[in-house]
Amino acid sequence: MEELGKIKQIDFDILGYKLVFNIETIIMTCIVIFVLILFSVLARSRMGLIPNPFQVIAETLAKIFYNLCEDALGQELAPKYFKLIFSLFLFIWLSNIIGIVPIFSEPTKDLNTTLSLGVLGFIIAHYSGIRAKGIKQYLKEYCEPIFFMAPLNVIGELAKVVSISFRLYGNIMGGGIIIIVVSHLLWQILLPPALLFFFGIFVGTVQAFVFTMLTLVYISLQVR
Amino acid sequence: MDNETFITASRYLGAAFSVGFGAIGAALGEGYAAGIASESISYKPKASREVITTMLIGQAIAESAAIFALVVSMILLFGGPDFHSLNFGWACIGAGLCMGLAAIGSGLGAGIPAGQACLGTVIQPATSGKTNTTMLLGSAVTQTPAIFGLVLAFLLLFLDHSNMPVYPGWAALLGAGLSMGLGAIGSGLGNGFTAGEAVYGVARNPEQVGPTSMVMLVALGVAQSSAIYGFLIGLMLLFVTPKESILIADSARLLTAGICMGFGAIGPGIGSGIAGAYALKEVPRKPEERGTIFRVMLIGMAVAGSTAVYALVISMLLIHYFK
Repeated sequence: MEELGKIKQIDFDILGYKLVFNIETIIMTCIVIFVLILFSVLARSRMGLIPNPFQVIAETLAKIFYNLCEDALGQELAPKYFKLIFSLFLFIWLSNIIGIVPIFSEPTKDLNTTLSLGVLGFIIAHYSGIRAKGIKQYLKEYCEPIFFMAPLNVIGELAKVVSISFRLYGNIMGGGIIIIVVSHLLWQILLPPALLFFFGIFVGTVQAFVFTMLTLVYISLQVR
Repeated sequence: MDNETFITASRYLGAAFSVGFGAIGAALGEGYAAGIASESISYKPKASREVITTMLIGQAIAESAAIFALVVSMILLFGGPDFHSLNFGWACIGAGLCMGLAAIGSGLGAGIPAGQACLGTVIQPATSGKTNTTMLLGSAVTQTPAIFGLVLAFLLLFLDHSNMPVYPGWAALLGAGLSMGLGAIGSGLGNGFTAGEAVYGVARNPEQVGPTSMVMLVALGVAQSSAIYGFLIGLMLLFVTPKESILIADSARLLTAGICMGFGAIGPGIGSGIAGAYALKEVPRKPEERGTIFRVMLIGMAVAGSTAVYALVISMLLIHYFK
Protein backbone atom coordinates (compact mmCIF):
# COMPACT_ATOMS: atom_id res chain seq x y z
CA MET A 1 0.00 0.00 0.00
CA GLU A 2 3.03 2.27 0.07
CA GLU A 3 2.57 3.12 -3.61
CA LEU A 4 -0.64 5.07 -2.81
CA GLY A 5 -0.49 8.39 -4.62
CA LYS A 6 3.24 8.08 -5.34
CA ILE A 7 5.04 8.29 -8.67
CA LYS A 8 8.38 6.66 -9.46
CA GLN A 9 11.19 9.23 -9.46
CA ILE A 10 14.90 9.29 -10.15
CA ASP A 11 17.28 11.91 -8.80
CA PHE A 12 20.26 13.52 -10.56
CA ASP A 13 23.00 15.55 -8.94
CA ILE A 14 24.21 18.20 -11.36
CA LEU A 15 26.65 20.88 -10.08
CA GLY A 16 25.29 20.53 -6.57
CA TYR A 17 21.67 20.93 -7.63
CA LYS A 18 19.30 18.03 -7.09
CA LEU A 19 17.11 17.41 -10.11
CA VAL A 20 14.11 15.13 -9.70
CA PHE A 21 12.62 13.43 -12.74
CA ASN A 22 9.22 11.73 -12.60
CA ILE A 23 10.53 9.02 -14.88
CA GLU A 24 7.22 7.13 -15.05
CA THR A 25 5.36 10.21 -16.26
CA ILE A 26 8.03 11.07 -18.82
CA ILE A 27 8.08 7.59 -20.36
CA MET A 28 4.28 7.34 -20.44
CA THR A 29 3.94 10.80 -22.02
CA CYS A 30 6.42 9.75 -24.71
CA ILE A 31 4.41 6.58 -25.37
CA VAL A 32 1.19 8.61 -25.67
CA ILE A 33 2.84 11.05 -28.08
CA PHE A 34 4.27 8.17 -30.13
CA VAL A 35 0.88 6.44 -30.38
CA LEU A 36 -0.80 9.68 -31.46
CA ILE A 37 1.84 10.32 -34.14
CA LEU A 38 1.49 6.74 -35.38
CA PHE A 39 -2.30 7.15 -35.50
CA SER A 40 -2.11 10.37 -37.50
CA VAL A 41 0.44 8.90 -39.93
CA LEU A 42 -1.82 5.89 -40.48
CA ALA A 43 -4.84 8.16 -40.93
CA ARG A 44 -3.00 10.37 -43.43
CA SER A 45 -1.49 7.58 -45.50
CA ARG A 46 -3.53 6.54 -48.54
CA MET A 47 -6.13 9.21 -47.86
CA GLY A 48 -8.92 8.95 -50.34
CA LEU A 49 -12.59 9.13 -51.12
CA ILE A 50 -12.89 5.55 -49.94
CA PRO A 51 -11.31 6.03 -46.52
CA ASN A 52 -9.18 3.58 -44.61
CA PRO A 53 -10.34 2.67 -41.07
CA PHE A 54 -8.02 5.16 -39.32
CA GLN A 55 -9.19 7.94 -41.61
CA VAL A 56 -12.81 7.21 -40.69
CA ILE A 57 -12.06 7.46 -36.96
CA ALA A 58 -10.00 10.62 -37.38
CA GLU A 59 -12.56 12.33 -39.61
CA THR A 60 -15.49 11.47 -37.34
CA LEU A 61 -13.76 12.81 -34.25
CA ALA A 62 -12.43 15.86 -36.07
CA LYS A 63 -15.91 16.74 -37.36
CA ILE A 64 -17.42 16.61 -33.85
CA PHE A 65 -14.73 18.91 -32.47
CA TYR A 66 -14.79 21.24 -35.46
CA ASN A 67 -18.52 21.78 -34.90
CA LEU A 68 -17.92 22.48 -31.20
CA CYS A 69 -15.19 25.01 -32.07
CA GLU A 70 -17.48 26.68 -34.59
CA ASP A 71 -20.23 26.94 -31.95
CA ALA A 72 -17.91 28.59 -29.47
CA LEU A 73 -15.63 30.74 -31.64
CA GLY A 74 -17.53 31.51 -34.83
CA GLN A 75 -16.64 30.66 -38.42
CA GLU A 76 -13.53 32.82 -38.87
CA LEU A 77 -11.66 31.83 -35.71
CA ALA A 78 -12.64 28.16 -35.61
CA PRO A 79 -9.92 26.84 -38.03
CA LYS A 80 -7.23 28.67 -36.06
CA TYR A 81 -7.96 27.12 -32.66
CA PHE A 82 -9.43 23.79 -33.83
CA LYS A 83 -6.00 22.14 -34.18
CA LEU A 84 -5.04 23.03 -30.63
CA ILE A 85 -8.36 21.91 -29.14
CA PHE A 86 -8.44 18.64 -31.06
CA SER A 87 -4.84 17.70 -30.21
CA LEU A 88 -5.44 18.64 -26.57
CA PHE A 89 -8.44 16.32 -26.42
CA LEU A 90 -6.65 13.40 -28.11
CA PHE A 91 -3.62 13.77 -25.84
CA ILE A 92 -5.61 13.96 -22.59
CA TRP A 93 -8.01 11.24 -23.64
CA LEU A 94 -5.27 8.77 -24.53
CA SER A 95 -3.37 9.72 -21.37
CA ASN A 96 -6.45 9.00 -19.26
CA ILE A 97 -7.34 5.63 -20.78
CA ILE A 98 -3.80 4.26 -21.19
CA GLY A 99 -4.00 3.02 -17.59
CA ILE A 100 -6.30 0.16 -18.58
CA VAL A 101 -3.30 -1.54 -20.26
CA PRO A 102 -1.40 -3.56 -17.64
CA ILE A 103 1.85 -2.03 -16.28
CA PHE A 104 1.10 1.28 -18.04
CA SER A 105 0.10 4.25 -15.90
CA GLU A 106 -1.65 7.50 -16.71
CA PRO A 107 0.56 10.57 -17.22
CA THR A 108 -2.40 12.68 -16.03
CA LYS A 109 -2.06 11.00 -12.62
CA ASP A 110 0.85 13.39 -12.10
CA LEU A 111 -0.03 16.96 -11.10
CA ASN A 112 2.90 18.27 -13.18
CA THR A 113 1.19 17.13 -16.40
CA THR A 114 -2.25 18.55 -15.64
CA LEU A 115 -0.94 21.80 -14.20
CA SER A 116 1.25 22.42 -17.23
CA LEU A 117 -1.71 21.72 -19.53
CA GLY A 118 -3.79 24.16 -17.48
CA VAL A 119 -1.08 26.83 -17.62
CA LEU A 120 -0.76 26.22 -21.37
CA GLY A 121 -4.46 26.89 -21.86
CA PHE A 122 -4.29 29.96 -19.60
CA ILE A 123 -1.36 31.50 -21.51
CA ILE A 124 -2.91 30.81 -24.92
CA ALA A 125 -6.29 32.24 -23.84
CA HIS A 126 -4.80 35.43 -22.42
CA TYR A 127 -2.33 35.90 -25.29
CA SER A 128 -5.19 35.57 -27.78
CA GLY A 129 -7.24 37.97 -25.68
CA ILE A 130 -4.50 40.63 -25.76
CA ARG A 131 -4.01 40.09 -29.51
CA ALA A 132 -7.75 40.33 -30.22
CA LYS A 133 -8.73 43.22 -27.94
CA GLY A 134 -5.56 45.18 -27.42
CA ILE A 135 -3.77 45.58 -24.12
CA LYS A 136 -5.88 48.56 -23.00
CA GLN A 137 -9.24 46.89 -23.35
CA TYR A 138 -7.78 43.68 -21.87
CA LEU A 139 -6.62 45.45 -18.71
CA LYS A 140 -9.83 47.45 -18.51
CA GLU A 141 -11.86 44.25 -18.18
CA TYR A 142 -10.12 43.44 -14.92
CA CYS A 143 -11.48 46.64 -13.40
CA GLU A 144 -15.09 45.66 -13.89
CA PRO A 145 -17.54 46.34 -12.32
CA ILE A 146 -15.45 48.75 -10.18
CA PHE A 147 -11.69 49.29 -10.12
CA PHE A 148 -11.10 47.88 -6.66
CA MET A 149 -12.48 44.52 -7.77
CA ALA A 150 -9.27 44.05 -9.78
CA PRO A 151 -7.39 41.86 -7.24
CA LEU A 152 -10.42 39.58 -6.91
CA ASN A 153 -10.68 39.29 -10.70
CA VAL A 154 -7.00 38.33 -10.89
CA ILE A 155 -7.50 35.68 -8.17
CA GLY A 156 -10.56 34.44 -10.04
CA GLU A 157 -8.52 34.02 -13.23
CA LEU A 158 -5.79 32.12 -11.37
CA ALA A 159 -8.41 29.95 -9.65
CA LYS A 160 -9.57 28.84 -13.11
CA VAL A 161 -6.13 27.30 -13.71
CA VAL A 162 -6.17 25.62 -10.30
CA SER A 163 -9.67 24.19 -10.68
CA ILE A 164 -9.21 22.98 -14.27
CA SER A 165 -5.96 21.13 -13.52
CA PHE A 166 -6.97 19.74 -10.13
CA ARG A 167 -10.23 18.42 -11.56
CA LEU A 168 -8.37 16.26 -14.06
CA TYR A 169 -5.65 15.26 -11.59
CA GLY A 170 -8.11 14.47 -8.77
CA ASN A 171 -10.36 12.33 -10.93
CA ILE A 172 -7.60 10.27 -12.53
CA MET A 173 -5.48 9.90 -9.38
CA GLY A 174 -8.60 9.18 -7.29
CA GLY A 175 -9.65 6.42 -9.68
CA GLY A 176 -6.17 4.91 -9.43
CA ILE A 177 -6.24 5.00 -5.60
CA ILE A 178 -9.69 3.39 -5.43
CA ILE A 179 -8.55 0.57 -7.75
CA ILE A 180 -5.38 -0.05 -5.68
CA VAL A 181 -7.29 -0.12 -2.36
CA VAL A 182 -10.12 -2.31 -3.65
CA SER A 183 -7.64 -4.75 -5.23
CA HIS A 184 -5.80 -4.89 -1.92
CA LEU A 185 -8.99 -5.65 -0.01
CA LEU A 186 -10.38 -8.17 -2.49
CA TRP A 187 -7.24 -9.96 -3.70
CA GLN A 188 -8.01 -8.86 -7.26
CA ILE A 189 -10.86 -11.21 -8.14
CA LEU A 190 -13.88 -9.60 -9.70
CA LEU A 191 -14.46 -5.94 -8.94
CA PRO A 192 -11.18 -4.30 -10.09
CA PRO A 193 -11.77 -4.92 -13.84
CA ALA A 194 -15.24 -3.35 -13.59
CA LEU A 195 -13.82 -0.39 -11.66
CA LEU A 196 -11.07 -0.11 -14.25
CA PHE A 197 -13.72 0.17 -16.93
CA PHE A 198 -15.64 2.87 -15.03
CA PHE A 199 -12.69 4.98 -13.92
CA GLY A 200 -10.45 4.26 -16.89
CA ILE A 201 -12.76 4.62 -19.84
CA PHE A 202 -15.88 6.45 -18.65
CA VAL A 203 -14.38 8.97 -16.22
CA GLY A 204 -11.30 9.36 -18.41
CA THR A 205 -13.36 10.28 -21.47
CA VAL A 206 -15.70 12.61 -19.57
CA GLN A 207 -12.81 14.44 -17.88
CA ALA A 208 -10.82 14.77 -21.12
CA PHE A 209 -13.90 16.28 -22.72
CA VAL A 210 -14.57 18.64 -19.81
CA PHE A 211 -10.96 19.85 -19.77
CA THR A 212 -10.96 20.49 -23.53
CA MET A 213 -14.33 22.24 -23.46
CA LEU A 214 -13.31 24.50 -20.60
CA THR A 215 -10.08 25.48 -22.39
CA LEU A 216 -12.13 26.24 -25.49
CA VAL A 217 -14.62 28.31 -23.52
CA TYR A 218 -11.87 30.26 -21.73
CA ILE A 219 -10.31 31.09 -25.12
CA SER A 220 -13.68 32.10 -26.54
CA LEU A 221 -14.40 34.34 -23.53
CA GLN A 222 -11.14 36.17 -24.21
CA VAL A 223 -11.33 36.55 -28.00
CA ARG A 224 -14.99 37.46 -28.38
CA MET B 1 -5.94 5.69 28.00
CA ASP B 2 -3.37 3.81 25.92
CA ASN B 3 -3.01 3.94 22.14
CA GLU B 4 -4.86 0.71 21.39
CA THR B 5 -7.95 1.70 23.36
CA PHE B 6 -8.03 5.08 21.67
CA ILE B 7 -7.65 3.53 18.19
CA THR B 8 -10.44 1.02 18.84
CA ALA B 9 -12.73 3.77 20.12
CA SER B 10 -11.94 5.96 17.11
CA ARG B 11 -12.66 3.09 14.72
CA TYR B 12 -16.14 2.75 16.25
CA LEU B 13 -16.68 6.51 16.18
CA GLY B 14 -15.53 6.80 12.57
CA ALA B 15 -17.71 3.90 11.45
CA ALA B 16 -20.74 5.45 13.14
CA PHE B 17 -20.11 8.89 11.62
CA SER B 18 -19.55 7.46 8.17
CA VAL B 19 -22.71 5.45 7.75
CA GLY B 20 -24.78 7.70 9.99
CA PHE B 21 -24.21 10.84 7.93
CA GLY B 22 -23.92 8.89 4.70
CA ALA B 23 -27.41 7.46 5.01
CA ILE B 24 -29.06 10.91 5.09
CA GLY B 25 -28.60 11.98 1.49
CA ALA B 26 -29.24 8.76 -0.39
CA ALA B 27 -32.46 8.09 1.52
CA LEU B 28 -33.79 11.59 0.82
CA GLY B 29 -32.85 11.36 -2.85
CA GLU B 30 -34.44 7.96 -3.28
CA GLY B 31 -37.59 9.14 -1.55
CA TYR B 32 -37.79 12.08 -3.97
CA ALA B 33 -37.37 9.72 -6.93
CA ALA B 34 -40.09 7.42 -5.62
CA GLY B 35 -42.44 10.36 -5.02
CA ILE B 36 -42.04 11.70 -8.56
CA ALA B 37 -42.47 8.15 -9.89
CA SER B 38 -45.83 7.81 -8.11
CA GLU B 39 -46.91 11.17 -9.53
CA SER B 40 -45.85 10.12 -13.04
CA ILE B 41 -47.77 6.85 -12.83
CA SER B 42 -50.92 8.75 -11.91
CA TYR B 43 -50.58 10.75 -15.18
CA LYS B 44 -50.32 7.62 -17.31
CA PRO B 45 -51.02 4.39 -15.42
CA LYS B 46 -50.31 2.27 -18.52
CA ALA B 47 -46.63 3.21 -18.40
CA SER B 48 -46.22 2.02 -14.82
CA ARG B 49 -43.77 -0.77 -15.71
CA GLU B 50 -41.37 1.52 -17.56
CA VAL B 51 -41.59 4.11 -14.79
CA ILE B 52 -40.82 1.55 -12.09
CA THR B 53 -37.81 0.26 -14.05
CA THR B 54 -36.48 3.79 -14.50
CA MET B 55 -37.07 4.58 -10.83
CA LEU B 56 -35.21 1.48 -9.68
CA ILE B 57 -32.21 2.17 -11.94
CA GLY B 58 -32.05 5.77 -10.73
CA GLN B 59 -32.36 4.78 -7.09
CA ALA B 60 -29.62 2.17 -7.49
CA ILE B 61 -27.22 4.90 -8.63
CA ALA B 62 -28.32 7.28 -5.85
CA GLU B 63 -27.68 4.48 -3.40
CA SER B 64 -24.03 4.18 -4.40
CA ALA B 65 -23.00 7.17 -2.25
CA ALA B 66 -24.44 5.44 0.82
CA ILE B 67 -22.70 2.23 -0.24
CA PHE B 68 -19.34 4.05 -0.30
CA ALA B 69 -20.07 5.14 3.29
CA LEU B 70 -20.94 1.56 4.21
CA VAL B 71 -17.66 0.33 2.69
CA VAL B 72 -15.65 2.80 4.78
CA SER B 73 -17.58 1.75 7.90
CA MET B 74 -16.90 -1.91 7.20
CA ILE B 75 -13.19 -1.24 6.67
CA LEU B 76 -13.08 0.70 9.94
CA LEU B 77 -14.86 -2.04 11.88
CA PHE B 78 -13.42 -5.24 10.42
CA GLY B 79 -10.30 -4.62 8.39
CA GLY B 80 -7.99 -2.06 7.03
CA PRO B 81 -4.42 -1.38 7.98
CA ASP B 82 -2.92 -2.16 11.35
CA PHE B 83 -1.10 0.98 12.51
CA HIS B 84 -0.50 1.65 16.19
CA SER B 85 0.24 5.38 16.39
CA LEU B 86 -2.12 7.81 18.07
CA ASN B 87 -2.48 9.61 14.74
CA PHE B 88 -4.16 6.57 13.21
CA GLY B 89 -7.00 7.01 15.69
CA TRP B 90 -7.56 10.61 14.61
CA ALA B 91 -7.28 9.52 10.96
CA CYS B 92 -10.10 6.98 11.55
CA ILE B 93 -12.41 9.70 12.90
CA GLY B 94 -11.40 12.00 10.03
CA ALA B 95 -12.05 9.31 7.42
CA GLY B 96 -15.49 8.57 8.87
CA LEU B 97 -16.49 12.24 8.90
CA CYS B 98 -15.07 12.77 5.42
CA MET B 99 -16.94 9.91 3.76
CA GLY B 100 -20.16 10.40 5.72
CA LEU B 101 -20.52 14.10 5.00
CA ALA B 102 -19.38 13.74 1.37
CA ALA B 103 -22.11 11.17 0.72
CA ILE B 104 -24.92 13.57 1.76
CA GLY B 105 -24.79 15.85 -1.29
CA SER B 106 -24.23 13.20 -3.93
CA GLY B 107 -26.92 10.89 -2.59
CA LEU B 108 -29.50 13.66 -2.46
CA GLY B 109 -28.36 15.05 -5.80
CA ALA B 110 -28.47 11.76 -7.70
CA GLY B 111 -32.10 11.27 -6.68
CA ILE B 112 -33.22 14.36 -8.60
CA PRO B 113 -32.29 13.12 -12.13
CA ALA B 114 -33.86 9.77 -11.24
CA GLY B 115 -37.16 11.49 -10.43
CA GLN B 116 -37.05 13.68 -13.54
CA ALA B 117 -36.33 10.61 -15.66
CA CYS B 118 -39.55 9.00 -14.37
CA LEU B 119 -41.46 12.11 -15.41
CA GLY B 120 -39.67 12.08 -18.77
CA THR B 121 -40.59 8.44 -19.37
CA VAL B 122 -44.26 9.37 -19.03
CA ILE B 123 -43.99 12.45 -21.28
CA GLN B 124 -42.18 10.67 -24.13
CA PRO B 125 -42.41 6.88 -23.70
CA ALA B 126 -41.01 6.30 -27.21
CA THR B 127 -37.63 7.86 -26.42
CA SER B 128 -37.26 6.69 -22.85
CA GLY B 129 -33.93 5.11 -23.85
CA LYS B 130 -32.39 8.53 -24.48
CA THR B 131 -33.83 9.88 -21.23
CA ASN B 132 -32.42 6.96 -19.29
CA THR B 133 -28.98 7.29 -20.89
CA THR B 134 -28.84 10.98 -19.97
CA MET B 135 -29.99 10.11 -16.45
CA LEU B 136 -27.28 7.45 -16.08
CA LEU B 137 -24.60 9.84 -17.33
CA GLY B 138 -25.78 12.70 -15.11
CA SER B 139 -26.16 10.58 -11.97
CA ALA B 140 -22.79 8.91 -12.48
CA VAL B 141 -21.02 12.27 -12.79
CA THR B 142 -23.01 13.55 -9.78
CA GLN B 143 -21.28 10.84 -7.72
CA THR B 144 -17.87 12.47 -8.34
CA PRO B 145 -17.85 14.54 -5.08
CA ALA B 146 -18.65 11.37 -3.11
CA ILE B 147 -15.83 9.58 -4.97
CA PHE B 148 -13.44 12.37 -3.95
CA GLY B 149 -14.60 11.83 -0.37
CA LEU B 150 -13.93 8.09 -0.71
CA VAL B 151 -10.43 8.76 -2.07
CA LEU B 152 -9.53 11.08 0.80
CA ALA B 153 -10.99 8.64 3.34
CA PHE B 154 -8.79 5.89 1.83
CA LEU B 155 -5.75 8.17 1.95
CA LEU B 156 -6.47 8.92 5.63
CA LEU B 157 -6.87 5.24 6.44
CA PHE B 158 -4.21 3.51 4.37
CA LEU B 159 -1.28 5.94 4.59
CA ASP B 160 0.99 5.72 7.59
CA HIS B 161 0.80 9.03 9.46
CA SER B 162 3.10 8.02 12.30
CA ASN B 163 5.86 10.47 11.25
CA MET B 164 3.46 13.39 11.85
CA PRO B 165 3.68 14.87 15.37
CA VAL B 166 0.46 14.17 17.29
CA TYR B 167 0.17 17.84 18.23
CA PRO B 168 -0.94 19.52 15.93
CA GLY B 169 -1.21 16.47 13.63
CA TRP B 170 -4.59 15.48 15.06
CA ALA B 171 -6.03 18.80 13.87
CA ALA B 172 -4.60 18.33 10.36
CA LEU B 173 -6.12 14.85 10.03
CA LEU B 174 -9.51 15.93 11.36
CA GLY B 175 -9.42 19.14 9.30
CA ALA B 176 -8.66 17.20 6.11
CA GLY B 177 -11.73 15.04 6.66
CA LEU B 178 -13.98 18.02 7.43
CA SER B 179 -12.70 20.04 4.47
CA MET B 180 -13.44 17.29 1.95
CA GLY B 181 -16.63 16.07 3.61
CA LEU B 182 -18.36 19.42 4.02
CA GLY B 183 -16.95 20.66 0.71
CA ALA B 184 -18.59 17.85 -1.24
CA ILE B 185 -22.12 18.55 0.04
CA GLY B 186 -22.79 21.63 -2.09
CA SER B 187 -21.35 20.26 -5.32
CA GLY B 188 -23.23 16.99 -5.06
CA LEU B 189 -26.56 18.73 -4.48
CA GLY B 190 -25.92 21.36 -7.16
CA ASN B 191 -24.94 18.70 -9.68
CA GLY B 192 -28.22 16.95 -8.96
CA PHE B 193 -30.26 20.07 -9.84
CA THR B 194 -28.34 20.49 -13.10
CA ALA B 195 -28.58 16.85 -14.15
CA GLY B 196 -32.29 16.75 -13.28
CA GLU B 197 -33.17 19.65 -15.56
CA ALA B 198 -31.00 18.17 -18.32
CA VAL B 199 -32.86 14.85 -18.12
CA TYR B 200 -36.25 16.57 -18.24
CA GLY B 201 -35.11 18.73 -21.15
CA VAL B 202 -33.99 15.68 -23.13
CA ALA B 203 -37.36 14.07 -22.48
CA ARG B 204 -39.14 17.10 -23.93
CA ASN B 205 -36.86 17.44 -26.96
CA PRO B 206 -35.15 14.10 -27.59
CA GLU B 207 -33.49 15.33 -30.80
CA GLN B 208 -31.23 17.60 -28.74
CA VAL B 209 -29.76 14.76 -26.67
CA GLY B 210 -26.18 15.23 -27.93
CA PRO B 211 -25.77 19.00 -27.39
CA THR B 212 -27.70 18.85 -24.10
CA SER B 213 -25.45 16.10 -22.73
CA MET B 214 -22.40 18.13 -23.74
CA VAL B 215 -23.59 21.28 -21.97
CA MET B 216 -24.63 19.16 -18.98
CA LEU B 217 -21.19 17.54 -18.64
CA VAL B 218 -19.40 20.88 -18.73
CA ALA B 219 -21.88 22.38 -16.24
CA LEU B 220 -21.40 19.45 -13.87
CA GLY B 221 -17.64 19.73 -14.22
CA VAL B 222 -17.59 23.43 -13.38
CA ALA B 223 -20.00 23.05 -10.46
CA GLN B 224 -17.60 20.49 -8.98
CA SER B 225 -14.85 23.11 -8.61
CA SER B 226 -15.76 23.81 -4.98
CA ALA B 227 -15.54 20.11 -4.07
CA ILE B 228 -12.15 20.06 -5.78
CA TYR B 229 -10.97 22.97 -3.62
CA GLY B 230 -12.07 20.96 -0.57
CA PHE B 231 -10.10 17.98 -1.88
CA LEU B 232 -7.07 20.21 -2.48
CA ILE B 233 -7.10 21.60 1.08
CA GLY B 234 -7.57 18.05 2.38
CA LEU B 235 -4.49 16.87 0.46
CA MET B 236 -2.48 19.86 1.70
CA LEU B 237 -3.40 19.14 5.31
CA LEU B 238 -2.40 15.50 4.83
CA PHE B 239 0.94 16.07 3.16
CA VAL B 240 2.19 19.31 4.75
CA THR B 241 3.76 17.76 7.84
CA PRO B 242 3.45 20.43 10.55
CA LYS B 243 6.14 21.24 13.13
CA GLU B 244 5.55 19.80 16.57
CA SER B 245 3.87 22.32 18.87
CA ILE B 246 1.64 21.97 21.89
CA LEU B 247 0.21 25.47 21.43
CA ILE B 248 -3.54 25.32 21.00
CA ALA B 249 -3.27 28.06 18.36
CA ASP B 250 -1.38 25.77 16.00
CA SER B 251 -3.95 23.02 16.29
CA ALA B 252 -6.79 25.50 15.86
CA ARG B 253 -5.13 26.93 12.75
CA LEU B 254 -5.11 23.58 10.93
CA LEU B 255 -8.56 22.51 12.11
CA THR B 256 -10.15 25.81 11.13
CA ALA B 257 -8.45 25.72 7.72
CA GLY B 258 -10.42 22.57 7.01
CA ILE B 259 -13.66 23.93 8.46
CA CYS B 260 -13.28 27.21 6.54
CA MET B 261 -12.87 25.46 3.19
CA GLY B 262 -15.59 22.94 3.95
CA PHE B 263 -18.30 25.45 4.81
CA GLY B 264 -17.08 27.89 2.18
CA ALA B 265 -17.65 25.32 -0.55
CA ILE B 266 -21.26 24.47 0.29
CA GLY B 267 -22.90 27.61 -1.09
CA PRO B 268 -20.91 27.96 -4.33
CA GLY B 269 -21.57 24.31 -5.21
CA ILE B 270 -25.34 24.70 -4.83
CA GLY B 271 -25.31 28.13 -6.51
CA SER B 272 -23.38 26.94 -9.56
CA GLY B 273 -25.71 23.97 -9.76
CA ILE B 274 -28.76 26.25 -9.82
CA ALA B 275 -27.15 28.36 -12.58
CA GLY B 276 -26.58 25.17 -14.56
CA ALA B 277 -30.14 23.96 -13.91
CA TYR B 278 -31.77 27.08 -15.38
CA ALA B 279 -29.41 27.05 -18.37
CA LEU B 280 -30.15 23.40 -19.09
CA LYS B 281 -33.87 24.04 -18.88
CA GLU B 282 -33.54 26.37 -21.87
CA VAL B 283 -30.85 24.63 -23.94
CA PRO B 284 -33.13 21.86 -25.33
CA ARG B 285 -35.98 24.31 -25.73
CA LYS B 286 -34.02 26.83 -27.79
CA PRO B 287 -31.22 24.94 -29.56
CA GLU B 288 -30.33 27.94 -31.77
CA GLU B 289 -29.43 30.04 -28.71
CA ARG B 290 -27.30 27.29 -27.19
CA GLY B 291 -23.95 29.08 -27.58
CA THR B 292 -25.15 32.25 -25.85
CA ILE B 293 -26.87 30.41 -23.00
CA PHE B 294 -23.77 28.28 -22.52
CA ARG B 295 -21.45 31.28 -22.25
CA VAL B 296 -23.73 33.19 -19.88
CA MET B 297 -24.04 30.06 -17.72
CA LEU B 298 -20.26 29.68 -17.50
CA ILE B 299 -19.72 33.32 -16.56
CA GLY B 300 -22.46 33.10 -13.93
CA MET B 301 -20.96 29.92 -12.51
CA ALA B 302 -17.53 31.52 -12.33
CA VAL B 303 -18.94 34.46 -10.36
CA ALA B 304 -20.99 32.20 -8.08
CA GLY B 305 -17.91 30.05 -7.53
CA SER B 306 -15.70 32.97 -6.56
CA THR B 307 -16.75 32.80 -2.91
CA ALA B 308 -15.26 29.29 -2.78
CA VAL B 309 -12.03 30.86 -4.04
CA TYR B 310 -12.07 33.30 -1.09
CA ALA B 311 -12.42 30.35 1.30
CA LEU B 312 -9.57 28.61 -0.54
CA VAL B 313 -7.33 31.66 -0.16
CA ILE B 314 -8.06 31.98 3.56
CA SER B 315 -7.50 28.25 4.15
CA MET B 316 -4.19 28.33 2.30
CA LEU B 317 -3.11 31.36 4.32
CA LEU B 318 -4.04 29.54 7.53
CA ILE B 319 -2.03 26.48 6.53
CA HIS B 320 1.07 28.08 5.04
CA TYR B 321 1.36 31.67 6.15
CA PHE B 322 0.62 31.80 9.88
CA LYS B 323 3.22 29.24 10.89
